[in-house]
Amino acid sequence: MRRQVPLIFCFVFGIVMILTQFIPHSSSQSLYQEVIGWALIITPFALILSSLTLIQTHLTRIRRRVEHWQYSIFVFVGILGMVVIGIPFGPQNPVFEWLFNNIQVPMDATMFSLLAFFIASAAYRAFRARTFEASLLLITALLVMLGNVPVGDTIWNSLLSWLPWDNGTSHMKQWILDNPNLSARRGIILGVSLGAISQSIRILLGIERSYLGGGD
Amino acid sequence: MLEKLMNIDRRIVFILVALAVIIPTLLPVSMPISVSEPTQKLYDYIEAIPAGGTLMLAFDYGPASLAELNPMARAILKQCFEKDVRVIALTLYAVGTTMGSTLIQEVVAETGAVDGEDYVFLGYRPGYELVILGMGKEIASVFDTDFNGKPLSEIPLMQNVTNYDQIDLLVDLSAGSLTEYWITYANVQFNQQIAAGVTGVIISQMYPYLQTGQLVGLIPGIAGAAEYERLIDAPAKGTLWINIESFVHLLIIGLVVIGNIAFFVHRGREE
Repeated sequence: MRRQVPLIFCFVFGIVMILTQFIPHSSSQSLYQEVIGWALIITPFALILSSLTLIQTHLTRIRRRVEHWQYSIFVFVGILGMVVIGIPFGPQNPVFEWLFNNIQVPMDATMFSLLAFFIASAAYRAFRARTFEASLLLITALLVMLGNVPVGDTIWNSLLSWLPWDNGTSHMKQWILDNPNLSARRGIILGVSLGAISQSIRILLGIERSYLGGGD
Repeated sequence: MLEKLMNIDRRIVFILVALAVIIPTLLPVSMPISVSEPTQKLYDYIEAIPAGGTLMLAFDYGPASLAELNPMARAILKQCFEKDVRVIALTLYAVGTTMGSTLIQEVVAETGAVDGEDYVFLGYRPGYELVILGMGKEIASVFDTDFNGKPLSEIPLMQNVTNYDQIDLLVDLSAGSLTEYWITYANVQFNQQIAAGVTGVIISQMYPYLQTGQLVGLIPGIAGAAEYERLIDAPAKGTLWINIESFVHLLIIGLVVIGNIAFFVHRGREE
């Protein structure tokens, strides 16, 4: 019963929401809007659930003293710090804003900035023209990288000024994005969409149940 | 020697990257920036919105992407305020709330735009597609108040705005797949005109939507931000950073070329 009820809800609401897309009658549309309203109310509870799961996970890490458990203490410091100020005073509170702008923003931006170092190192090691396909990828990547920054056109216009067109690297980059990239992306989008439709049908019919937990 | 060139210690690569960022930051250089077609299209579209028109701006990104997306947001806000295009800002991304609010305040301090008349910041609501779909019927059904808690019914800018029908253009500044949510739900279902500003890593994903016209324009990464700053004739951080990025790109290209030359010479000797 614990599994059948959610499966029935999923099937009924899924089918009803699909049908409303094909029935332009006002009653169908108002039902659709009503369900959207319910969903908007239910969604914030997912945030509460995810917060509780996060707390539970890190409490367990601390209790069991797993490797690097000390870092979990910082999770609680962060959560408590923001919640104690954020919930009663709101995100407009100057202290909340200060904490966000001076702690979270620099830390988050720093973590992302580290990627530049790893990408540079990885590109140097991995971009080797070992095969024809690898060479093609390498040349394309170099052209797009050069076309994406103004120095590419500056070099082109200085060294190749005798050619009949200016800003050659930008034009080549744009051509790559507009043609081979677009074609490949469209294929990916079609494949992903067909996969999503098939997965949705499996979920509606109760064949795919992993979202219920338990792995079956 | 060849072995060394093929296997440069990654710490040396890290130092070189750091130098490629630090030196141009301390000694700024300026290179001419050419404007790409997708950026030009977005600029032209906003220019064509009549004074008193309304643009919706979504801050769908977090601090990790602010270097690329904040300059775009700043440039678009400046263009709108100068043209008397009203801005309704919001975010579908929780951490975008304070970032959006802070950035708007900075632009307001420069331009003198008036809260509630020239712009309104609605803040954040959870549930990506549900928020987008809900606003298609009535914005007030999703955001009953603005970020400061003022009811939408008391905000002058919102008096004649009910849903997407009164929005001339929606610009989504996104660091992930949220632009695709806006396209799927706001463009396809409500025929809302959409443009996007995205981080470098997802530019290529957006091109099919540009070709179909589901995106009327696109600001591609920090390069696009610099292009937009050139278009509004207000060079700022986007322009500074793209020039710095030029040197990092040159460094990476140089390292890849050196690595490959060493690789081919090494392979030639082995054969």
